[in-house]
Amino acid sequence: MRVGPSQDEIRRQNLGALLRFVHVHGATTRAELTTALGLNRSTIGALTADLAAAGLVTEGAPRETGRAGRPSLVVRPESDRVFAYAYSIEVDRLRAARVGLGGAVLDRRELDRPRGLTAAEAAPLLAGAVKEMRQALPEDAVCVGAGVAVCGMVRRDDGLVRLGPTTGWVDEPIGAALGTELGVDVPVTVGNVADVAVFAEHARGAAAGCDNVIYLYGDVGVGAGIIAGGRRLTGHGGYSGEVGHMVVARDGARCECGNRGCWETEIGEHGLLRAAGRSDARGREAMLAVFDAADRGDAQAQIAVRQAGDWLGFGVANLVNIFNPEMVIFGGTMRDLYLAAAAQVRSRLNSNGLPACLEHVRLRTPKLGADAPLVGAAELAFDRLLADPLDVS
Amino acid sequence: MSATPLLELRGIDKSFGPVQVLRDVAFAAYPGEVTALVGDNGAGKSTLVKCISGIYPTDAGQFVFDGRPVNIHSPRDAAALGIEVVYQDLALCDNLDIVQNMFLGREKRSGIVLDEPTMEQMAAETLAGLSVRTVKSLRQHVSSLSGGQRQTVAIAKAVLWNSRLVILDEPTAALGVAQTAQVLELVRRLADNGLAVVLISHNMNDVFAVSDRIAALYLGQMVAQVKTTDITHAQVVELITAGRSGGLGLTGESATNGNGAAPADSTTGGVS
Ligand SMILES: Nc1ncnc2c1ncn2[C@@H]1O[C@H](COP(=O)(O)OP(=O)(O)OP(=O)(O)O)[C@@H](O)[C@H]1O
Ligand SMILES: [Mg+2]
Ligand SMILES: [Zn+2]
Repeated sequence: MRVGPSQDEIRRQNLGALLRFVHVHGATTRAELTTALGLNRSTIGALTADLAAAGLVTEGAPRETGRAGRPSLVVRPESDRVFAYAYSIEVDRLRAARVGLGGAVLDRRELDRPRGLTAAEAAPLLAGAVKEMRQALPEDAVCVGAGVAVCGMVRRDDGLVRLGPTTGWVDEPIGAALGTELGVDVPVTVGNVADVAVFAEHARGAAAGCDNVIYLYGDVGVGAGIIAGGRRLTGHGGYSGEVGHMVVARDGARCECGNRGCWETEIGEHGLLRAAGRSDARGREAMLAVFDAADRGDAQAQIAVRQAGDWLGFGVANLVNIFNPEMVIFGGTMRDLYLAAAAQVRSRLNSNGLPACLEHVRLRTPKLGADAPLVGAAELAFDRLLADPLDVS
Repeated sequence: MSATPLLELRGIDKSFGPVQVLRDVAFAAYPGEVTALVGDNGAGKSTLVKCISGIYPTDAGQFVFDGRPVNIHSPRDAAALGIEVVYQDLALCDNLDIVQNMFLGREKRSGIVLDEPTMEQMAAETLAGLSVRTVKSLRQHVSSLSGGQRQTVAIAKAVLWNSRLVILDEPTAALGVAQTAQVLELVRRLADNGLAVVLISHNMNDVFAVSDRIAALYLGQMVAQVKTTDITHAQVVELITAGRSGGLGLTGESATNGNGAAPADSTTGGVS
């Protein structure tokens, strides 16, 4: 027979809820916490004291508000002290950052990534970046974990990168490789870049407060991070969201995955550059050059951008009809494509979307910008801390 | 999204001498939404904005703000309601820094003298609230900023004093792709922060990228005001160039406006 939760479990849950609240919302008064968490004042006081003793939050006087009355004490996350390492492995670059509790990027390094670099080769480069950042570490800093965002399919159980068509990785143990290389005694959690980006935008970005969200992330390929009913959609093995490989044209162009006519062959890097007559060019800069040329009146670039925008609208209409999201976020190169071709994207979506599904959908670009993969990777690490604050810290 | 407009205009007429520039115009702007105001050159967009901001008196019509009938006789009246306009020329002073520009000409309105640290902090908080990351130092002269950054400063200035309605007249007209993208995101963020935003633009990408509603002026008449989810690019272009598209816009010889206000007299030409 299942008995109710123990005192200990309830306390752990409340500690997690309080810490999560200040992690997401920043400095919060005790009075606000009392209301937000539905706990009484003395409980909030006790929880705060526990978290402060563990070095996870500080309590102090609020900044001058100009309002009369005795101010309630403010609880702040220990952002400068408690941190996670975040890595982002992208097609053309590697990024490493130190992200504080509360979500601020405290330090960062960026390296070019030659296409085709393997996990075993990438790990030491990232470790080098971390070594540099460590030298500037405050004495009392505490690392609670590491998270990795990678453009590839990631096995949920152990972070194995199964297939990264654009990274060229097949069954690469990036999590393990980084763990060894870093030599830090903290767990490394790996996630797909779109999955972690939607996690970040949902926690503290454009989609805060939205329960049904699709984040379309584009680089060479296109993937989606999906939040449905307030929960991250992972699929059975962790591989869901490979929307770039939904087939949209029976005899379309050859995709890196081996099939023909995948959506990303029309809206991804190769498709846009091909249509613009620039098949030899590569990378995000080359894509941006096409948008720029279109803006300046280059006819072929304009056609390429409009076509890609139209295709983007087709696929988004499909996704909107299937998932009925309240928000679609366009990140990575999809941000640039959306903003450059919104008239086509919207028109196609408006024509093909089912009216009921279109009713409340908002189209947005990321509030966290290009930092979303890093902030999201850190969230993966913080998630463990927030589940059981006193155990991890 | 909100069902009640923050600002609603009804039956606005405006003539310059013998030339009638606005004819029985209805228009609404909603809190939390971007309303795109579109129309050909000379359709009357800027004139409408100048009526809203109290620069031009109207010949006829009503203003309802926040559910109350109001009169706007001067820019001061508009500012008191929280209506701010960012004009295309931006009116920034090149030889002053960002903070100085944001507070320029505002001393009287606030009624109190602010010290430099407070002004700098308010400027920083306003920019942070808009997630502006591109400006390096608040103390750099405006002359050293890119076009997009200048536009950002002008917009931040407009929202500094708890504005409620911000009107932007072609904010991306002079900008390249990357800076246009940043300004569009900023425009969207203003509305997502709860402001009512009116965006005048000739660029259909801008309009479709950020707007919730589209209001189309054609020869001084408001021919449609529709949700952006209910219209296509081609239809907007038709409304702009012909005043009608399918069931939208002008019908037959009589003109109606999109909000179902009383039909106005028919016109084709006569207004230029
Ligand atoms: N002060 C004025 N005196 C006389 N006529 C004016 C005045 N201001 C505007 N007009 C006329 O009113 C009409 C509408 O002008 P308005 O500037 O409002 O158009 P618009 O829609 O903003 O055009 P654009 O897209 O070119 O900016 C034009 O025919 C213009 O010549
Ligand atoms: Mg004008
Ligand atoms: Zn494919």
